[in-house]
Amino acid sequence: MNIKTTFVDMASFLVMLLAWQQMPSMAQEVPAHAITNVTIQMADGATLENADIVWRNGVIEQIGVNESIPFDAFIIDGGDSLHVYPGLIDGMATWGSPETPRDLPRLENPGKPPYDRAGAQPQRVPGHYLNEDKAFEAAMKAGFTLVALGLDGQMLPGHIQPFNLSAPKLTQAHIFANPLALQGSFETAPGGWGSGAYPSTQMGVMAYFRQLMYDATALQEHMMYFEKHSEMTQPEQNDVLEALFPLINKEYPLYFEVDSKEEIERLFRLQDEFGFDVVLVSAKEASALSNELKARNIAVLASLDVTEMPDWLEKENKEAKKDDGERSESSEEGDSEDAESEELTEEELMFRSKQKEAWEKEINNLSALLEAGIPTGFTSAGLSPKELIQKVNLVTENSTLTKDDIVGLMTVHNANILGISNRVGTIKEGNSAHLILTDGPLFEKGTNIHIQVSQGVINDFMED
Amino acid sequence: MKNTLTTLLIIAVFSVGTIAQEKGSVLIQNATLMTITDGIIENGDVLIVDGIISAIGADLSGPSGVSVVDGTGKYVMPGIIDAHSHLNTVSTNEARNPVTAEVTMEESINPNSVSIYRALAGGVTSIHLMHGSANVIGGQGETLKLRYGVTQDEMRFADAKRTIKFALGENPTRVHGQGNGIQPRTRMGVEQIIRSHFDEALDYRIKREAYFASKEAYEVDRRGRTAPPIPVAKNLRYDVLNDIIDGEILVHCHSYRADEILMLMRVFNDYGIKNYTFQHANEAFKVAPEIAKNGAYTSVFADWWAYKFEVYYSTAYNATILNENGVTNSINSDSNELIRHLNHEAAKTVRYGETSESDALKMITINPAKQLGIDEMVGSLEIGKQGDVAIWSGHPLSIYSKVEHTYVDGKKYFDLYMDPVDMRIAVDSEDSYAEAVFNTFIQGREEDSCMSDVFELIEQ
Repeated sequence: MNIKTTFVDMASFLVMLLAWQQMPSMAQEVPAHAITNVTIQMADGATLENADIVWRNGVIEQIGVNESIPFDAFIIDGGDSLHVYPGLIDGMATWGSPETPRDLPRLENPGKPPYDRAGAQPQRVPGHYLNEDKAFEAAMKAGFTLVALGLDGQMLPGHIQPFNLSAPKLTQAHIFANPLALQGSFETAPGGWGSGAYPSTQMGVMAYFRQLMYDATALQEHMMYFEKHSEMTQPEQNDVLEALFPLINKEYPLYFEVDSKEEIERLFRLQDEFGFDVVLVSAKEASALSNELKARNIAVLASLDVTEMPDWLEKENKEAKKDDGERSESSEEGDSEDAESEELTEEELMFRSKQKEAWEKEINNLSALLEAGIPTGFTSAGLSPKELIQKVNLVTENSTLTKDDIVGLMTVHNANILGISNRVGTIKEGNSAHLILTDGPLFEKGTNIHIQVSQGVINDFMED
Repeated sequence: MKNTLTTLLIIAVFSVGTIAQEKGSVLIQNATLMTITDGIIENGDVLIVDGIISAIGADLSGPSGVSVVDGTGKYVMPGIIDAHSHLNTVSTNEARNPVTAEVTMEESINPNSVSIYRALAGGVTSIHLMHGSANVIGGQGETLKLRYGVTQDEMRFADAKRTIKFALGENPTRVHGQGNGIQPRTRMGVEQIIRSHFDEALDYRIKREAYFASKEAYEVDRRGRTAPPIPVAKNLRYDVLNDIIDGEILVHCHSYRADEILMLMRVFNDYGIKNYTFQHANEAFKVAPEIAKNGAYTSVFADWWAYKFEVYYSTAYNATILNENGVTNSINSDSNELIRHLNHEAAKTVRYGETSESDALKMITINPAKQLGIDEMVGSLEIGKQGDVAIWSGHPLSIYSKVEHTYVDGKKYFDLYMDPVDMRIAVDSEDSYAEAVFNTFIQGREEDSCMSDVFELIEQ
């Protein structure tokens, strides 16, 4: 006990020291915060009842039952009924990104567009493009405390960088860590029919991507030579190609937004050629390639944006339920529907059977990935928090995925995939204080998120 | 109950179709064999074992358990090969540059298109999936086997020669000249695009090789007296153009007019390019001896013309004249509808030009195989060739004949007597029935597939 306390004290001291060093202007130690008397959802799935959690300077200092709360702590009393979860993480979103420009001017030679008009802007970093976006606050209210931001764009929109969701208006001050990946997709050059450019097809995007990689390889080599031989011709300055160096050197993964099985297979070709690591984003048909993903050690940031159950299937299910229940209550409406279903052609019956199969595959994508042992996380991929709750219900009601699984995707899984699990994703001492305080299990009807804590910064949503 | 039966039927059909690249064995007995390269054999048997034709003759017996088909009264011929198709492309034209040799249809294959099954129903077993005709030098082609139900990679015809699409005349001048105000605006411009790009590619090759040489010298010089080279980046487009010059890629050139056909032969002679095929080539009959002299091939329509200015001077005797002049000619579809009855298209050469039945059948089998560099593997009934065959109810050139079974690698992919009403592999989980029907069966019927993706460009 003594040893442990000493260790914790030392750790706290180090953390404090670190914090103090980082903030030289502060004369005094930053006060601690504590949430007391709550149920804490621990990393291993266990819960800690009547527990307290203390953090200072954004870092968790203490977790436990009957902890001695530091004298300077600002205390929130959980009143015995509230739960603390690790803050939710969005594995990739493009909130705050400038919209992709419309009404682009016509190019004189669409076959040789400037990089941005071809859709290649890998040099962009989200921190430079943080526009106001209502999505930030909406996500905070939904329990998200961290987001890996990307940018709206095409083939190579820019870098992926994690941000603390600690204020509704993000600035560079909210950067959580350095950029950790490049973002990619098979999206063709912008501009539409009138002002479009090469590449205008997926096969064109693949060829253009390859050429960029070859050009970047040559430029990097030139720069290396020039470092040793200043007498030689100076290499050109090219921020687009230079941004690809981490990719050709395999220092960065490529976060690639892709859904269909065939497109994922095409991405494999590029990966085979250049050898970089890949994380799939959205990936609605990824489970069809589970074995291959496993062999390639590819993680998935999956979208929950699944299609609603086809109307006819919903109707059929309702009828089946009704039949199981009170058979006597066959309404007139029910009779007419029975008559309708008997009129279906063989062709339509086959269509329905295939559609049901397709929809079930889609809805089971996430659970199939998890069952196959693929590292799977979550990306909002354009879903608003309100839609998210609907989709969580749709998926959990129609697949083996549970709401706890989904919390896992949004916390520890996402932290692992993003490579930031040493700081977030779980509640433990030494981790960043990314927490949410709820009055019930997450995603259950009636559960409110009272407080959201991102890197120690408290946002109280029950105040108003 | 009916629902269950239907589902079972689907499972039955698809469990056959979804096993990847499985090779099959079959013994077809007592049929009329249209061997293509060795005449007609009456009351003959064909034995395919593990995807390869292992015996042709009479009273053959197969390994135990091999499925036996009674061919009495039926005709067996090699699967039809369509040397010009856009059957199941994801996109067809990368139409934003006059030269896009770096793109490849290998990366534009939709393996789930129901059009594959429909082509099988017409006795087709292989297609040449081509880039469109918007560009002077378009993308590379991909020869496919119509193994319906497999992945995009498994559809590829192993060991087929690499190919590329070129296009002359109105399409590239319209898209790039008129559409974007860049070269080529005229047929002269088309020629110069080809020449200048070949020259640039050759120039690149010299520079790239010089860079490699200097790099090597720099790396072995331990005393550091050698200056490092300025790196020359690998250029995908020029690499492909050099592969054409080196004869590793077969050119298939969309062309109509006699003058542009002569032009391309001059250009290719200048660069030493051989073994190329003129696609469409409606005026090829005017220069048939010249084409024969250059060893070039043609792949034409039976009687399809007048859909634009450069296609008015045409004749239904084109194929016959080319054939009589010793040009290896094929009849192609360039259409997802025509591909289902290429036998009729071949028959037209008999009807119009009195081409022999045997030569007419060559035009949809061994001749396109030669043009695609796959004639050692398919295109005729020969021992050792791949088991891509179709069984016809009657003579394949008869309007009354139907395909009853189509085999690829000895495996049955089409059976007239087990042909469910809906052979789509997948449907969208979001579409209503009406939308799905429209998307699959109605939309796109009228498209000129060679120019798909570019209509909007032209209309500007």
